[in-house]
Amino acid sequence: MVQRNIKSEIDSKLHDPILRSNLERFSEQYPIARAKAYANVDSIEDLRDDLRDMKRYSVAHIEKLADEFQASLEKRGAKVFRAKDGDELKEQLMAICRENNVHNIVKSKSMATEEIRLNDYLEEKGLHVKETDLGEWMLSVAGQHPSHMVMPAIHLNRKQCAKFFSDELKEDIPSDIPFMVQTARKVMRKEFLKADMGISGANFGIAENGAIGLVTNEGNARIVTTLPPVHVIIIGYEKLIPKVSDASKIMRLLPRNGTGQRMVSYLTLVDGPTPIIHEKNGKLIEENKKVYAILLDNGRLKAAHDPVMKEVYQCVRCASCLNVCPIWSTVGGNVYGHIYSGGIGAILTGLLNGMDEFAQFSDLCIGCRRCTTVCPGKINIPDLIQELRNRRVAQKGLSTPEKIIFRRIMTNRKIFHSLLRAASLGQKPVKSGKFIRNLPLFFAKMTEGRSLPAIADKPFRDRAEELFKKNPTNPKMRVAFFSGCNLDFVFPETGESVVKVLQDIGAEVVYPQKQNCCGKPVVGAGDLDTARKLAKQNIKAMEETNADYIVAACPTCAETLKQTYKELFASDPVWLKRAEAMSKKVVEFTVFVEKAYAKENRLKDVQGMKKITYHDSCHMKRSLGIYKEPRELLNSAAGYKFVEMHGADQCCGMAGSFGMKYADLSKQLLNRKIDNIKQSGADTVAVACPACMMQIGGGLDKNAPEIKVKHIADILAENLK
Amino acid sequence: MKKICHEWQKYLDKGFIDKKYWESFKENAQAASVELKEIKSYDEALPIIEALIDEVNAQKLAGVGQDDSKAIMNIYHELGKKHQIYTDKFAITENAPILDIGISTAEFGVGETGSICVDNYSYEARLVSMLPPINIVFMNKNNIVDTMTEAFEILEQVFDKGYTGFVTGPSRTSDIERVLTLGVHGPSRLILFAVDE
Repeated sequence: MVQRNIKSEIDSKLHDPILRSNLERFSEQYPIARAKAYANVDSIEDLRDDLRDMKRYSVAHIEKLADEFQASLEKRGAKVFRAKDGDELKEQLMAICRENNVHNIVKSKSMATEEIRLNDYLEEKGLHVKETDLGEWMLSVAGQHPSHMVMPAIHLNRKQCAKFFSDELKEDIPSDIPFMVQTARKVMRKEFLKADMGISGANFGIAENGAIGLVTNEGNARIVTTLPPVHVIIIGYEKLIPKVSDASKIMRLLPRNGTGQRMVSYLTLVDGPTPIIHEKNGKLIEENKKVYAILLDNGRLKAAHDPVMKEVYQCVRCASCLNVCPIWSTVGGNVYGHIYSGGIGAILTGLLNGMDEFAQFSDLCIGCRRCTTVCPGKINIPDLIQELRNRRVAQKGLSTPEKIIFRRIMTNRKIFHSLLRAASLGQKPVKSGKFIRNLPLFFAKMTEGRSLPAIADKPFRDRAEELFKKNPTNPKMRVAFFSGCNLDFVFPETGESVVKVLQDIGAEVVYPQKQNCCGKPVVGAGDLDTARKLAKQNIKAMEETNADYIVAACPTCAETLKQTYKELFASDPVWLKRAEAMSKKVVEFTVFVEKAYAKENRLKDVQGMKKITYHDSCHMKRSLGIYKEPRELLNSAAGYKFVEMHGADQCCGMAGSFGMKYADLSKQLLNRKIDNIKQSGADTVAVACPACMMQIGGGLDKNAPEIKVKHIADILAENLK
Repeated sequence: MKKICHEWQKYLDKGFIDKKYWESFKENAQAASVELKEIKSYDEALPIIEALIDEVNAQKLAGVGQDDSKAIMNIYHELGKKHQIYTDKFAITENAPILDIGISTAEFGVGETGSICVDNYSYEARLVSMLPPINIVFMNKNNIVDTMTEAFEILEQVFDKGYTGFVTGPSRTSDIERVLTLGVHGPSRLILFAVDE
């Protein structure tokens, strides 16, 4: 395996203006096209559920389906092989070529053959192989790889395409798109007519009758499966479905999600040998063509029996997870694995091409979860990536600096916090280098285009006692405040606002001094042992308070306390019980306050002078499902008028250590966010997440200092006396 | 002509088709660049085809489906008086690379998507619908089902082996700068005669 320099690859993509503008345009248009395609469907959710359930059934019965598919095809006169990996498949295919005296091959879209680099192999063996999908043909001529599963050449412009045409055809082809398409038609038609084998993939394979479905707009799959006298189907196990009627469950979603079409031009269904009329011994005869199918394993069966990873079988390769991914839409698909790109691509690369390849770019998923809102098979893509990262760490261990920071420093709260205090004095050891980016974010140095706030002189924990003197004398409830590192050490004033707002609704607030980092950065890095240590510290600290509620004003901490701890202790009944008991008490700040305000009839529609907009944090909106409550609170905030911004729920680019490791890429996402904030006309942007506050605040400071970023707690506190 | 099913109508009549799906079929088919011609009888297609032949200066035509429909056989017969039209499968095969217009049939349409279901078990049906730059298709206007779900429920009953599928407009690509271009491998025009039989 080649050791890649992902950072420099990303850098070159960030400086590719053609790629950038193509992707930018596409990511603006895609959600609109998708919505339009679904406009005549009663419920997208019902369709997604149907597809997920059908695919879940399929993976649970994969061996049975494979046997049935094979028997169905054999009964109809096709030959079926099974290949455990690429090498075996290549040998089987070469035998078929020899048996049928094959020289010229035409192919239509097959990701599986890209995965095993079949074309290179066939060419080495002296065969003439042509991809027939226009995009893939251009890329094969250019020696490039597809950057998207559905739109392979989206990173190119017409001039680059014309050059590939000219090079291949050895004549000057102008960069006129209809002319190029007509030229491709002519060139490819010759290939079709002389081909003696057609190789196709399959979008699905139906066990009950052995039919395969092929989805194309160009129609190349229809010609590949019609003209040549031999047809070889190369199909991965994950494409098998039980019945003919199950195909509609794929087809009602795949084109709409993939290309924003209600249906593709050609959905071709081929089942067993079909007639062909061709010349034999000088005269035309009609006979059945020869059909072979090769079922490719290459890691798929192992995944099918993996309790977590079997979820990838729910993928129908529509690539919509890429289309909405903030990283893909900034740098394109070529920075991922050699064939499968984006979030799902990371998982498929890990399972099918190997964990070493996966590990090189696995941190390009920022966990914003936008993909989970569109995936037709409802795959929890970021969770599967996290699971693979965890396994990698369990197998290979952490890097040395991570090991020191996580295991020696963070689990020892006193050392950890004294280091943080030291940072506020600007001491050297935490200032630069690898050491820093693995620590929680606020250790980072200033970066270009974004200023990061300094560590506060006096952390929240040192201010708490004084604040609690103002606790109500007859409290309605007892609330333990879980600050998280950011509100403790970077934004202690926001911590003060939280307390003020809680006291105002009648809460006695307490601050357990023994609370530590919630552990999310450690979980993200895959160090679950350390995460469990932190979880135990926090559960103990919270239990000791005997509070009615535990409130966090950071969605990441709230999610970790409420959800992740239970997962961490899934096989530890004693701690699971304690985690569950605590989880019931954990409430996110805006949800807690909105409920109280609603009870006290304090929610109303206020039209103040200052315009305010709201940025949805990824964890807040898509992990916790909270987006109404913050808006309700802002709508009622005295002195403000609430306005929505475009792309309110798009990631700001912070996303844990990502913002540090890939600072330039993160800055691109931030710039998009800042532009949207500016265009909303707001004077203030409200957030409910301290990490977003840090990122957006830094961006505004450099680019639009007239606009302020405030945590909702600060806005609510302003209006309290 | 070889088909995956010779009794499509029997299955369609099991409560799948309804005139009320026509409007959404029409809207979706036209959105997919289908050139839709609503006609009351097959004869009405003749002058339209004649005009098309003039318009594109077509020299060679081919058609399938005449053995299942007298009306279609009659059209081919009429066209044959003035033009070269191949209807024999071997003659179609021989001339396939140089055909200007191919004429074929569809079993039913799908309202949700504007797709037509084509039974292309026979080799010549695939040739005439894919290789020439223009594909003319005849379909019973009353054979429209609601969604792809119903379409596949029908297929589940009739599709045992062979070659079938759905066609939704002409061949298209957006592989260069995502600019929509028609007619990359298959036809650039799909003309659908919906006959109110």
